[in-house]
Amino acid sequence: MEKLKQQFGVRATDSLFECGFYSRDMAPVPSLLVDPLFNTRPDIVVRPVDAVETAGILKTAFADNIPITPRAGASTVYFNSVPVKGGIVIDLNLIAGIEDIDEAAMTVTVRAGTTWLELEKYLNPLGFALKSFPSSAPAASIGGWFSMMGYGIGSIKYGSLLSQVQSIEVILPTGECRWLTNDTKPPLAWFAASEGTLGIITRLTLEIRRLSSMKHFLLAFTDVGEMRRALESIINAPVVPYNLHFADKRYALAMQSLGFSPSDTASSCTLGIDYEGSRAELDIVQNMIIRLFGDDRTIRLFPEEEARREWTGKFNALRLKRGGPSVLGGEIWLPVKTLPGYLADIKKKADCYGLDLISYGHVVTRERAAVMTLFYTNETRIGSYILDLAMVKKIHDVGYRHGGWPYGVGLWNTPYLGRIFTLPYLNELRLRKQMLDGRGIMNPGKLYRAPFFLNPVSFAVGMGTLAAVRRITGRSGRR
Amino acid sequence: MREIITKPFTGMEDEALICGRCGYCRSACPVYNVVGWESATPRGKIAKAKEIFSQGKQTELSAEFVQRMAQCTLCGACAQECSTGIDTRKMWLELRKRIAALGREPKAYKALRDNLQEKKNISNFSNDERLEWAQDLDDPAVLKPRAGAAVGYFVGCVSSFFPQAAQVPLAIAEIFSKAGVDFTSLGGEEWCCGFPLISTGFVDEARQFIRHNVDKIRQLGIHTLVASCPSCYSVWKEDSREALQGYDLEILHTTEYLVRLIKEGRLSLQEIPETVTYHDPCDLGRTSGIYDAPREIIRSIPGVRFVELPHHREQALCCGGGGTLQSVDAALAAKIARLRAGEIRSVGATVVVSACQQCEQMLTAAVREAKMPVRVLDVSQLVLEAMD
Repeated sequence: MEKLKQQFGVRATDSLFECGFYSRDMAPVPSLLVDPLFNTRPDIVVRPVDAVETAGILKTAFADNIPITPRAGASTVYFNSVPVKGGIVIDLNLIAGIEDIDEAAMTVTVRAGTTWLELEKYLNPLGFALKSFPSSAPAASIGGWFSMMGYGIGSIKYGSLLSQVQSIEVILPTGECRWLTNDTKPPLAWFAASEGTLGIITRLTLEIRRLSSMKHFLLAFTDVGEMRRALESIINAPVVPYNLHFADKRYALAMQSLGFSPSDTASSCTLGIDYEGSRAELDIVQNMIIRLFGDDRTIRLFPEEEARREWTGKFNALRLKRGGPSVLGGEIWLPVKTLPGYLADIKKKADCYGLDLISYGHVVTRERAAVMTLFYTNETRIGSYILDLAMVKKIHDVGYRHGGWPYGVGLWNTPYLGRIFTLPYLNELRLRKQMLDGRGIMNPGKLYRAPFFLNPVSFAVGMGTLAAVRRITGRSGRR
Repeated sequence: MREIITKPFTGMEDEALICGRCGYCRSACPVYNVVGWESATPRGKIAKAKEIFSQGKQTELSAEFVQRMAQCTLCGACAQECSTGIDTRKMWLELRKRIAALGREPKAYKALRDNLQEKKNISNFSNDERLEWAQDLDDPAVLKPRAGAAVGYFVGCVSSFFPQAAQVPLAIAEIFSKAGVDFTSLGGEEWCCGFPLISTGFVDEARQFIRHNVDKIRQLGIHTLVASCPSCYSVWKEDSREALQGYDLEILHTTEYLVRLIKEGRLSLQEIPETVTYHDPCDLGRTSGIYDAPREIIRSIPGVRFVELPHHREQALCCGGGGTLQSVDAALAAKIARLRAGEIRSVGATVVVSACQQCEQMLTAAVREAKMPVRVLDVSQLVLEAMD
């Protein structure tokens, strides 16, 4: 640690004050639950400016078996970028900037700490655009989203981020720097969704597209079944949308009560559909939407201005939090075809536990949607808040019954590993980890197995007990 | 036209809880972009404020946190980006107030408050010397306080006492004279607008200054007030409402008034063959919603090639000079100004125009340090050049 401090000078700190800021991500988990179980405060935070410096840190950590936690935007909620065993946090935000655009190959090479919005803002004036990006683009880094599952806005048309990335520069736990492609050993695919547990990505070359015009539609349905039928019509139409997002009635009501949605979407499920392409394609789309929904009196087609406003607010779903002050919930990787059943069961669960459950999400492949279901609570009422935490598992249980599983693992979703991965695949992941990081210094405690206190059996018993107490006492953080 | 995004502010504790720690504020924050540590991010500061104030751990109000709270230009860029709609600028003002109430404010803030209470301005000069700059006018007496004038010019401390900024009030007075504006000033009875006190947490003390200035305006029977400093303007526009209740006072920034004069055909503007860019002052743009007036003025000058900076209007970068940052960390303020100078260089402007004397000082120092062949002018100076 002293060596790193000397080497990095003002770009390294072991100040207790500063390190404390690196001990959390977006998840509002009470210290009462975290501190006795995990050492989330790093011993030192270092801010390298490039791959060479990053490699130097990893060599030092490898030699001394010091845990490493990479961190950039820290815009996730599962402690993916929060240490659980202290050690070194590598803050990657200085490894940012665009290096090269290859117009012939339609690729851009970018440093991993660049945010998605920064890259899009760089590309657009040049006549290019990203194929896909996360709904947290103003904060999420390029490397960070690749290290997660990489599905978001644009994925339904252009596929996962993994399918768009041609090569990555990665620092392996030994400090070795490698350029990886689909044909190298290991292939770059190993690092997608690896959550920083195999190495640190410092550069990526990814595909881009020509900037094109867009057309936006916003539909409202009185019934979720109708919305699913509309979703299927859209998904199976010849022109694939760029973005397809939906929300249940509770979402519309909450947004409307906060003044963010048109009043006439309240008590409706909404479906936002965004297309990009040539003028001719957009004309086809316009006719197609009118043909599909224009005559159906049970479906409301909003003026394009409202639809465009929805698109403009695509990064701001967190506005919901104004109705909180706190929110808890789960993000489920759900089959599109089970969405109505999921939402119906969520409503039953809400009635059973006196919860106000709000759901919204994006259809990110023809088969799957990333669905967020959340509820309001108040983290300052610790006892009630802990009881409310049990409701998160209830949401995941509903998702599981409908063929879904948590989107992302980190620390907090390790109890669901058996739902997220098949055992052979989990064993394959563990084998990769063993091959590349046998000493287990890269982001330990995440992804591969649940820590003792989060093992599925005790977790289920604990959460079940809390849920029962909550149901019997009727206590919740909100009240 | 003023374009302000109004956001509800439900109180510091509640807003701190509403923060989702998404980090959208991070990239926009000029202080974070220079300092680089998570504790300098708006989300980091709100998280700590939540611990200290919402969760009642006031013992954790450390010197480091006080320093981070002082290392803020109050530029409001974070409020612009906030995904949960928090008016973070109000949050920072409220936190500085809380810190001052606990007697934990930086020494520089105390010194500033004591000086203001003694001198009634932010300089070391006696307030009687407020109109010293006017000695360079053909008729300095034109600024002598006079009841019943059509326009009251609120000069502001920086323009009044800092020689580098004196060209701004001189230009304004000369333009007003040439346009036949019936104007006056408060002379030695103009006190600091109160913004330095508000921005350092001494809100109660600021009220005395606000009340004094309002009383003097009422006594002179002035019904149109023009301020050239965006901070003074925002205090008059927002913080003086209570004191002004029942009194009809039109409050304008010089850019708004100059546009009016141009539209009325009272200013004859000649060609200026320059490439001009405009730096939006935070207190005029994001705080007060004035973006179009200065651009209209620049565009109305024949021969000017106007170019926008990469970050402009709502997304404009701060110059580093806001939020009383210079009094606690002048080096940080200068580094922020360098970021803006880099943008000015990138557009190839020969003149950078602003509408805030503090911004102009910061940018002048930054372009000089970078040895850039760029002139920094107030919009009024550009107008006067076009009139000569």
